[in-house]
Amino acid sequence: MNSLQRIAAAIRFQETDRVPVIAQVFGHAARIGGVPLADYVRDGETLARCQLKALRHYRYDAVFSVMDANVETEAAGSVLRYPRDQYPVIERYALPEGTHWDGLAVPDPLCAGRMPEMLKALTILRRELGDEVAVIGCILGPFTLATQLLGMERTLYLALDDPPRLAQLMDFATEVVIRFGLAQLQAGAHLSMVFDPSASPAVIPPSFFREFELPRLQRVFRALSEAGTAANWLHIAGPAAPILPYYAKAGVQIANFDYVVSVDEAATQLPGTCCDGNIKPLLFAEGSPADVEREAIHLLRAFRNRRGFILSSGCEIPPEAKPENVAALATAPSGKGQ
Amino acid sequence: MNDSQMNSLVAAILEGDCAESVLRAGQLRAGGVSAQSIVMHGIEPAMSALDGKCTLEEFNLLEIMLAGRAVTEVMKLLYPSGSATTITKATVVIASLEGDVHDLGKNILKMVLTGSRYRVVDCGKDCPLPKLMEAVEKEQPFAIGISGLITHIIPLVKQVKELLRIRGLERVKVLAGGAALKQSSPEKLNVDFVAESAFDCLHYLEALAGDGQ
Repeated sequence: MNSLQRIAAAIRFQETDRVPVIAQVFGHAARIGGVPLADYVRDGETLARCQLKALRHYRYDAVFSVMDANVETEAAGSVLRYPRDQYPVIERYALPEGTHWDGLAVPDPLCAGRMPEMLKALTILRRELGDEVAVIGCILGPFTLATQLLGMERTLYLALDDPPRLAQLMDFATEVVIRFGLAQLQAGAHLSMVFDPSASPAVIPPSFFREFELPRLQRVFRALSEAGTAANWLHIAGPAAPILPYYAKAGVQIANFDYVVSVDEAATQLPGTCCDGNIKPLLFAEGSPADVEREAIHLLRAFRNRRGFILSSGCEIPPEAKPENVAALATAPSGKGQ
Repeated sequence: MNDSQMNSLVAAILEGDCAESVLRAGQLRAGGVSAQSIVMHGIEPAMSALDGKCTLEEFNLLEIMLAGRAVTEVMKLLYPSGSATTITKATVVIASLEGDVHDLGKNILKMVLTGSRYRVVDCGKDCPLPKLMEAVEKEQPFAIGISGLITHIIPLVKQVKELLRIRGLERVKVLAGGAALKQSSPEKLNVDFVAESAFDCLHYLEALAGDGQ
């Protein structure tokens, strides 16, 4: 069983030779590759080379072409600053105070901002790995992109002050991420993870998620499915338990759950959906290999009878994680504890 | 004091209705209610109610931001010069440290503490440690609140207590919170308290104040 087959079997709740491991290694791969994060997130070849090096080092089941959460908003006009060893930050939002967003043009992934570099990385990764290892891209959820276009505070105020305007902006964001997601599949991704941290119940009430975000996520996942994605993966960090029941309706096949959501909550609320999670991300920086292994074994045992599980962290493994801790995650399903 | 009007102010803040909150506060002032009384009997109870929701895990950023905006506007009405003359419980210096440009969590802490009658000195986001120490030496606060969304700043957080010790300011409590920092522990961050939320910070400060520290 190769990595892609292993993940596909887990999604279908079938037996696997071992539980698949998707370590959410994004910027950490730059550390492994010995390059500044600012270079990693701007150059597709560098990103792909670092991902391949990290894969050879850790031997987990998936690689990512993920730069940061600002790719779409930069392509739409936001101005970023690139600190050498950190993820870029937004200096000026695409839609500053006083601007209108009627008639905004959806960015072309082949030429807008860093989108082409992300696509290039996917093409290289797929060319190198074929169908052996899962090659995963990333798009933002529509609400998260809205917050990246406008700023979190203004987006939240808009939710109360002018819901139709927010809906209009989210429709635009939906078109942006669908176009980018389809381009990622075309470039070589087996699937594109939908990263939607701002849709967490820590940020918006579940009722808001149901009314505003769910229908747009349905559109996104429907479009990706029609284009032949290997699976629909939704990644919402934080206390997501209250919105898990909506995932099946959205078309989600892999559901990330963070460390603040219990195994019982995830398994109960997602009876037919493959779960991935949920080791505390900071443990990879602060803990020891024994700590990571202990948490991994706990998860593997909890999901043993249910199946439909991918061992992972609750969110991104921090760039400054200790390599021996990431290695402990990767080897846990093959270890003696199993 | 008109209890019904004060209750309406509390309700408007909890609804996140900014215009209504300002209107109600204005009516109370016109009726002769002091600014301090409005803070104590209008804003503080609203903060307590929000705190209760937080404990029940119904808390989300949208509601707290909207309530926060209402509180900010009411405070502007009550203290147009920007300097609250209300008796404050203590001074707290807050910051997001250098490298962290996210300040939403810090701003929420500011709102929660201000609404609970703490004097808050905001050092802003992307704040270098020397600037933070300068503010601490000048303001002589009861505590420092550090908000952190990214793990990158953890090495800076770990230095804060030592920098205080060098300056003879060991008595100043150091509180940490935010998505990255709350995954850690006081021992690992070398701070006095790691808060799950802004209200968790408030509880810690209130408990210390109750102990007479």
